[in-house]
Amino acid sequence: MIELENLTRKYGDFKAVDDLNLTVEKGEIFGFVGPNGAGKTTTIKMLGGLIAPTHGAVKICGISMADQPEQAKNRIGFIPDRPYLYEKLTGMEFLKFIADLYGVAEDRFLKKAEDMLKMFSLSDWGNELVESYSHGMKQRLIMASALLHDPEVIIVDEPLVGLDPLGIKMVKELFKKLAAEGASVFMSTHTLTVAEDVCNRIGIINHGKIIATGTTEDLKIKAGVNEAAFEEVFLLLTR
Amino acid sequence: MVDILTLITPRFLSIKNRMFSNSDTGRGGMLVTLALIGIGFWCGIFAVTYRLLDYLQSIEQLGDILAYKLLSMVLLTFFSLLIFSSILTSLSKMYLSRDLYLVNSMPVSSYKIFAARWIESTMDSSWMVIVYAIPVFVAYGVIYNAGPFFYCIIALTILFFSIIASGISSILVVLAVIVIPASRIRSIFIFFGLTLFVVLFLAFRLLKPERMVDPEVFVTTMVYLKAMKTPASPLLPSTWAFDCIKAALSGSFPGSLFHLSLLMTCSGTIIFLCLIIADALYFKGLSKSDTAQMRFIRQDYSDWTFMKKFSGPVRAFTIKEIKTFFRDQAQWTQIFLIGALVIIYIYNFSVLPLEKSPIKTVYLENILAFLNMGLAAFVLTAVTARFAYPAVSTERNAFWLVNASPIHKKKFLWIKFFIYFIPLLVLTEVLIVVTNLLLHVTTFMMVLSSVTILFVVPAVIAMGIGLGAAYPDFKAENPVQTVTSFGGFLFMVLCACYIGAVIALEAGPVYSIFMAGIRNRDLTLYEWLWAGGSFFMVFLLSTAATILPMRYGEKKLTEMLI
Repeated sequence: MIELENLTRKYGDFKAVDDLNLTVEKGEIFGFVGPNGAGKTTTIKMLGGLIAPTHGAVKICGISMADQPEQAKNRIGFIPDRPYLYEKLTGMEFLKFIADLYGVAEDRFLKKAEDMLKMFSLSDWGNELVESYSHGMKQRLIMASALLHDPEVIIVDEPLVGLDPLGIKMVKELFKKLAAEGASVFMSTHTLTVAEDVCNRIGIINHGKIIATGTTEDLKIKAGVNEAAFEEVFLLLTR
Repeated sequence: MVDILTLITPRFLSIKNRMFSNSDTGRGGMLVTLALIGIGFWCGIFAVTYRLLDYLQSIEQLGDILAYKLLSMVLLTFFSLLIFSSILTSLSKMYLSRDLYLVNSMPVSSYKIFAARWIESTMDSSWMVIVYAIPVFVAYGVIYNAGPFFYCIIALTILFFSIIASGISSILVVLAVIVIPASRIRSIFIFFGLTLFVVLFLAFRLLKPERMVDPEVFVTTMVYLKAMKTPASPLLPSTWAFDCIKAALSGSFPGSLFHLSLLMTCSGTIIFLCLIIADALYFKGLSKSDTAQMRFIRQDYSDWTFMKKFSGPVRAFTIKEIKTFFRDQAQWTQIFLIGALVIIYIYNFSVLPLEKSPIKTVYLENILAFLNMGLAAFVLTAVTARFAYPAVSTERNAFWLVNASPIHKKKFLWIKFFIYFIPLLVLTEVLIVVTNLLLHVTTFMMVLSSVTILFVVPAVIAMGIGLGAAYPDFKAENPVQTVTSFGGFLFMVLCACYIGAVIALEAGPVYSIFMAGIRNRDLTLYEWLWAGGSFFMVFLLSTAATILPMRYGEKKLTEMLI
């Protein structure tokens, strides 16, 4: 579903992402963790087609992001870490905007949008301007919009920033449900407990390179600490 | 004072870091280009003022009176511009800046934050007006053989003049934010826009500029001279500045210093007043502004059925653009002003005293109609600069949505193009057709100008959208201000060149065809070829001006991903 081949991104002489090779399978939730400045957001942006790699390739459901960006993006639900939206649209209008861009059928839109707003506890806010939303509400609206067209791949950067405990629980369950239904989730996060709880597999990135991938158990073995908490494993591997 | 300087420091450090940043390799060349263009404009303003003053000096007795009247008008205009510019800048700096939360969380008094913002606002709002005022004053100095005293007086006058304008504006802003409910803070733009319009209109009417060029309306020459010598209101700072500069020009040091001291004490008093008012009201206004926008019209979600015929992306961006535009109350002021501009434009044509002209009316009417194409195209350029040029930058931080969505940049730009094309085409054609009807032009001239504008509109809009995409600023506090950047300047220059080229290409053949019609004779083969060739060149030029900037914008926007 998601294939990264020799993915590299340079800024001048600095390699933000260095020769990344990775595959995320259908139905898999892949957690992408690493210290600040490790290259997580740069990778996420390349996956979403927001920036182009200096070398290497991104494939979404077998479609090359470089050669067929529109087709590839149509399969993705992209959720950035900062919820920048069109502030002068209402929540419902924003969903319609996204639905039109992603080709959601007219007859399906209204029901789907109402379901999404309900799922993300925004039903009472659908006709309010986005500018009156709190940070967490904007984040929830972005999630609702990203799932509106039933994407096969979900790319999400820091999904829980700004969400309340109920929202965090709901999102974690939602990702598990979507993966069970066949979607691939690529999730970058600093919250190690979430990665541990939700992800089938975790990749640790440091200085632009993947230094370890596997289940939490695999990573513990790699770090040589069988009984330690995942936080300690992370610190040992990224030291 | 230390706190205030500390609060200003990030601004100067940002400028310094931007100037010496290695990340933008083309910046040096761009700065040199901008500087050269600026110097060119500066020299142009000096040359025009010098030439005008030189001519006025040749008119015995009346020359000095007219030169001083011109100076009075220039100062009043500068004062109005400074007031308006300061109102917009101070509102933005003091109440709408994104870093205000951070600044207000610091252990600093609110009046100090106000003072720091006020200093920034004064500099930002005045520098351009000052830079372009200097050549005018230098021309006066050269013509009147003024010594170093005059130039010192000019420097101080400009300084105090700017402080007074900025101070008055800031007081108005602080009071307005308290009076107008903070939930409608952006509505203040409407208030200020209309105030500006009224102020400018009153200033213009008070000067009665038309009387300067029409001595016939006066009973005797003495009455005319008296009217020219009548000073503006003595309560206006521009009058003190005028008296100060006039005295310096005529070598009256005590007179000049007296009026300078008026300006100086006034600016000191205004700063003092600003700080007192800010200490009492600034924080209140700021905290009131931290509420959601009030919606004048609230509607439940409804789909625009008439848009269903269009493809998804076209529908998405068109609806988004229209709704966003009309919900941003800052845009309404601009629409009011454009409406006023259109009415004044058309009105001016309706009152042209063509029958008084020694040239035969039919020639004059058609010459005016031809030149009117250029004028209307320049109005179009100004409106495009305001609305279409910032269209890409207005996506602001939400531009990631465009990048992440399955839509090609080319399509995105062309959708933007058509959103602005239709209303601007209607606006420009209305200007052309109505003014042509008022001028009673020939059918040929009516068809020619309507068709020419049909080519000019897409070209100007494409240059606006294309260059706006090539030089976007998604981080701008106010995307509208992106037109003052290098890209905006390039857009203005290219539009001026393009419109000039169209007018130049059509002028000769149009004259031949028009004269043939008047003399009731057939066109020669040469004239046919000339006309055909010229109109074909206009077509080619317009097509190139429509396609190339859009491609350039698409290329640059796509390169941003790399």
